[in-house]
Amino acid sequence: MGLEVLIVEDQMLIAIHLQDLVEEAGHRVAAIAHDGVSALAAVANQRPAIAIMDIRLAHGASGIDVARQLYEQHRIRCLFVSANINEDVRQRVADLRPLGFIGKPFLAAEVIAAVQAAAIAVDSNSC
Amino acid sequence: MPAMPEIILNVDDNEPGRYATTRILNRAGFQVLEAGTGKEALRLARSASPQLVVLDVNLPDMSGIDVCRQLKTDPATAGIMVLQVSATNIAVLDRVSSLSAGADSFLVEPVEPEELEAVARALLRLHRVEAELRRSLAEREMLLREVNHRVKNSLQLVLSMLSLQGGEFREAGAREIFAKAIARVTAIASIHERLYQDTDPLSIDMQTYLSGLCAELARAGIGDERHADLRTDIEPLRLPTENGVSLALIVNELVMNALKHGRPDDRPAIINVSLRRLDAGQARVTIADNGPGIAAGGANKPAGGLGSRLINMLVRQLNGQLRIEHADGYAAHITFPLQAAVTWDSKS
Repeated sequence: MGLEVLIVEDQMLIAIHLQDLVEEAGHRVAAIAHDGVSALAAVANQRPAIAIMDIRLAHGASGIDVARQLYEQHRIRCLFVSANINEDVRQRVADLRPLGFIGKPFLAAEVIAAVQAAAIAVDSNSC
Repeated sequence: MPAMPEIILNVDDNEPGRYATTRILNRAGFQVLEAGTGKEALRLARSASPQLVVLDVNLPDMSGIDVCRQLKTDPATAGIMVLQVSATNIAVLDRVSSLSAGADSFLVEPVEPEELEAVARALLRLHRVEAELRRSLAEREMLLREVNHRVKNSLQLVLSMLSLQGGEFREAGAREIFAKAIARVTAIASIHERLYQDTDPLSIDMQTYLSGLCAELARAGIGDERHADLRTDIEPLRLPTENGVSLALIVNELVMNALKHGRPDDRPAIINVSLRRLDAGQARVTIADNGPGIAAGGANKPAGGLGSRLINMLVRQLNGQLRIEHADGYAAHITFPLQAAVTWDSKS
């Protein structure tokens, strides 16, 4: 059973690469969003189970703020994939029950493993 | 740039004395705030951000030396210059304890107006230099973070571009050539993911680096489609970054060879990758498969192509020795000297 995954990433090339990896892991990409506004719009339409979240988004948006909105409004948890992962970021999203952190440049195997682990985590937590 | 008016906080419980000091400093052109107690001094130091505090040692509620110590230990006020002043505590010991509590200078009353003004100016000058240094350091750090982010993002774009392009090929041979190119770029690029979040950017932890690369190679689609069991046994070992990249590229080439040529026909393929510290300041990396080996099949010989050129060149770069062994398959051992690692001192 595959999950619906939302990809929030402002670099289209990287977003498409992530889409290939999500599909290789056996899941589906519900939508690709490049900033906070499009991410929230996509959630309203598609109801994804999880999100892959970049930290620096288009139009100066912060993936941390978007992740907070996704979690507080829709209980959607994020797998953070960013060149900006550090202790500060980890602490600021700790209460959003993050599904993991992957630094860029990422290893494809790492992303696939994290998406598979996230699917199990979300599945065992749902009612 | 118009100079920010410099604010001096004058702390003294004795009113005539406080008035006299304020008058001298006002006449010298400074904006002066006043406090009569230690508590009030600490409150104003935080809220009004003065550049200098002229601090009497004898205060009704607490010692001026303690006020100074609190100012200097709170990051929000540590940059404020403190000029400790005392009429009565003139013992050398008191001056010493004032300065050890963090005071920047000490005057004994009665103070000549010219001297007070001159010392205040000298301390404010010092404060300006320190503030400028802090500002330019913060700017540098921001610039470094930005460049670092750019490098990592650009490398990610290179890898994503190659991966997407590799996916366009239908023919297995072309796919494999692309997979090899991606693996080589990945070995170089993925060091950047680890380098700067580490405490020591001059060396690299080979355990996570090589384990990650091996996991990546296991899914890279090199050799045939059958699953190969890639087992890693890598000691926690830090290498200078340059050597780390060379070693990772060697491991990359040898594992790709094993995936391509080192698979047995009659049992599941197993590839072992190990890194161990030896005696006498050396380490050894071993890549061993359970395939046909050179003697048996003849196919396992690394071709004279780019792969073997890279291996030979990189082994030489490490001052290492390559030894090939034919046991239960094909095994390559690279023994190389561990250099005394340059260590990073972030304070230097």
